[in-house]
Amino acid sequence: MNFLRKKFYSYYLHPSIKFPHRVERREFAFVLFNEQSMHRHISFSSKDGLLNYLKTNIPAHVYYSSAYYRNPSASTMQEKKWMGADLIFDLDADHLPNAKEMSYEDSLREVKKEAIKLLSFLIDDFGFSKEEIEIYFSGSRGYHLHVSNSKVLELGSQERREIVDYITGRGLNIEEIAREKKIYKGKFVDKTIEICPQAGGWKGRIAKTLIKFFREIRNMSREKAIEELMKIESVGNKMAEDIYDALNDERMRRIEEGKLDQATAFKKIVKPLIRKLAISLHSEADEPVTADIKRLIRLPGSLHGKTGLRVTEVKIDEINEFEPLRDAVVFSDEKVKIKMLKPFRIEMMEEEFDLKGVAKVPEYLAVFLVAKGVAEAFS
Amino acid sequence: MDLFKLSYYPFLAEAKEWVKEQGVSVEEILSDVIYERARRRAIERIEHAILKGTISEAPLTNEVDCAMEIFSYPIARMIAVSFENEYVLRRYALAEAKKAYERMKNEDMQFIVHIAEEFGMEIKNDAIHFSDYLRYAPTWDMKWKLVNRDLKDGYVSVAKQEIARLLQEAIRKKIYDELAYLYAPPEIKRVFYNDILRLRSKVVVRKEKKIRGDASFPDFPPCIKAIISAVKSGKNVPHVGRFTLVTFLNAIGMDEDEILKLFSKSPDFQEDKARYQIEHITGKISGTVYSIPRCSTIRTWGLCYPDERCKYVSHPLMYYRRKRK
Ligand code: SF4
Repeated sequence: MNFLRKKFYSYYLHPSIKFPHRVERREFAFVLFNEQSMHRHISFSSKDGLLNYLKTNIPAHVYYSSAYYRNPSASTMQEKKWMGADLIFDLDADHLPNAKEMSYEDSLREVKKEAIKLLSFLIDDFGFSKEEIEIYFSGSRGYHLHVSNSKVLELGSQERREIVDYITGRGLNIEEIAREKKIYKGKFVDKTIEICPQAGGWKGRIAKTLIKFFREIRNMSREKAIEELMKIESVGNKMAEDIYDALNDERMRRIEEGKLDQATAFKKIVKPLIRKLAISLHSEADEPVTADIKRLIRLPGSLHGKTGLRVTEVKIDEINEFEPLRDAVVFSDEKVKIKMLKPFRIEMMEEEFDLKGVAKVPEYLAVFLVAKGVAEAFS
Repeated sequence: MDLFKLSYYPFLAEAKEWVKEQGVSVEEILSDVIYERARRRAIERIEHAILKGTISEAPLTNEVDCAMEIFSYPIARMIAVSFENEYVLRRYALAEAKKAYERMKNEDMQFIVHIAEEFGMEIKNDAIHFSDYLRYAPTWDMKWKLVNRDLKDGYVSVAKQEIARLLQEAIRKKIYDELAYLYAPPEIKRVFYNDILRLRSKVVVRKEKKIRGDASFPDFPPCIKAIISAVKSGKNVPHVGRFTLVTFLNAIGMDEDEILKLFSKSPDFQEDKARYQIEHITGKISGTVYSIPRCSTIRTWGLCYPDERCKYVSHPLMYYRRKRK
């Protein structure tokens, strides 16, 4: 038995699997070591059946269907008979706009921030309770959020796509967020742009962020504020100065009430500013994945064949403290001799490793490096 | 609910109950002279649905009028089924739903909420649970898109009229689904033989009257081509993409059946739903013909793949017209 398989075996003797609801209605799929193709359309009538399979076959990757089927082991969708599916969001570091320039550790931190943003949408806007949401570190480069709620089970893919569009801010109508309003004062017409911080949805979200933005600008030094303002599309030096200087107590008070005066430079920056804030507020959930009502997801508690890390549950209230390269580690720190195939640097279990040539490293790191294909184990 | 209300909404469970309580057999209803009025009215329902896409008003001055009106509904359903024609079923279900919408607009909130509950919608404080909203809202329309709605704690704020609009779709779906399983006794065909024959010829004529557009695919702008190839290869296409495609094809004169054929390749294709969406966009249902989005809008949706010619246009139709010259 090769090194990885042996290690995975030792884990699957006593794994800590988190079983999905209605195990017997799910399709399972496995990829075995040294095989490319996936074994699909497998179902288990009990949790023990699944545990036995893991022990006997020692798979490199384990998946189950987000959908429930009447006949989960049938080979065509028609015979499977779809009954419903959990709502799954996939956040992957590869989808971050600047993924390529980041280190593995940094990208994991960034994608965790995305997960936190997504949580706020799911809880504040969609009204899911914390008990209905489960977060998992994927074992590699991202997080999965599972929502199980009876009202979403039967939503089709078009409806799910609407949910993703909401979260990613796609199709957002900016005109609706900042509305022009005319106030008649006798003969005069006063024009303001109105935002609604008390509203729900994106309207309220953006309004609150807009107010916060101006509050922050006001508390900055003149120099810093102008620099910040000039980051907004189409704002030059002159306009930035005008805005900063106009931001007196009275104007700030009006902004907090949701009134942006039309007459000033404010009018010009509202739209580009909203566009900028919308980008910072949306969450990068993967659309095709979430809208798919019959996809496969990694089984919580199984090992990821390309890292040896465990697909690990993250408690919602502890997400800030969660460190994947510490909390998803399952192997020991017993020393193992390996040969590096190329130099590699990583921080794991809060320890720095800078490796090349032959090295003696903790077992968890040896598994990680061999799984990643940057090292070989001595048998 | 009193009889007047029930006769307005004969598809409600309560109306069905009422009919049952009267203990009238199908035989009686189809042959007894007492029900002649209900039978005439049933044909009127179908005829109006086929020709005008809605249900006509009937004068309701007393309880007998109402009773006849309520009886006419189950008869009309059986007639619709005896046509054995998809188009008639769809058109009839939609017509009933549209009529109900027209009437619900004038009801008070309490009443609308009552109907909504029958359809399993969760409504509280002028807001509806987002899952019910998504099931029935025409979200390909910017205004109805969830991202542009006030969503808080799982509920979307909706005005009374908007709930009525969501109900229209729920009603249409319910009626249509029921028709699919409904058995029409053979006597129906005998009793209404002449009417069915007369109306059937109108259905055929109506379908043939449509002109075939001579759409020229090579001249389509790249954005439209991209959407078409995605749809054809069975990829999931976002709403806005479908919306863009349908408005475009409609504008250049393609008819609904041809457009529908294109979509039949899509993985989550449901003929009845797709047809409804297409007919909504082309104005058959909504009354508004939606216009093709401008290039700038298509761009913000991430669906624009400009080529050389695109430099000089701001609208996909402009691209097409220029290239065809
Ligand atoms: S520029 Fe306009 S016509 Fe050209 S691809 Fe983009 S949206 Fe289509």
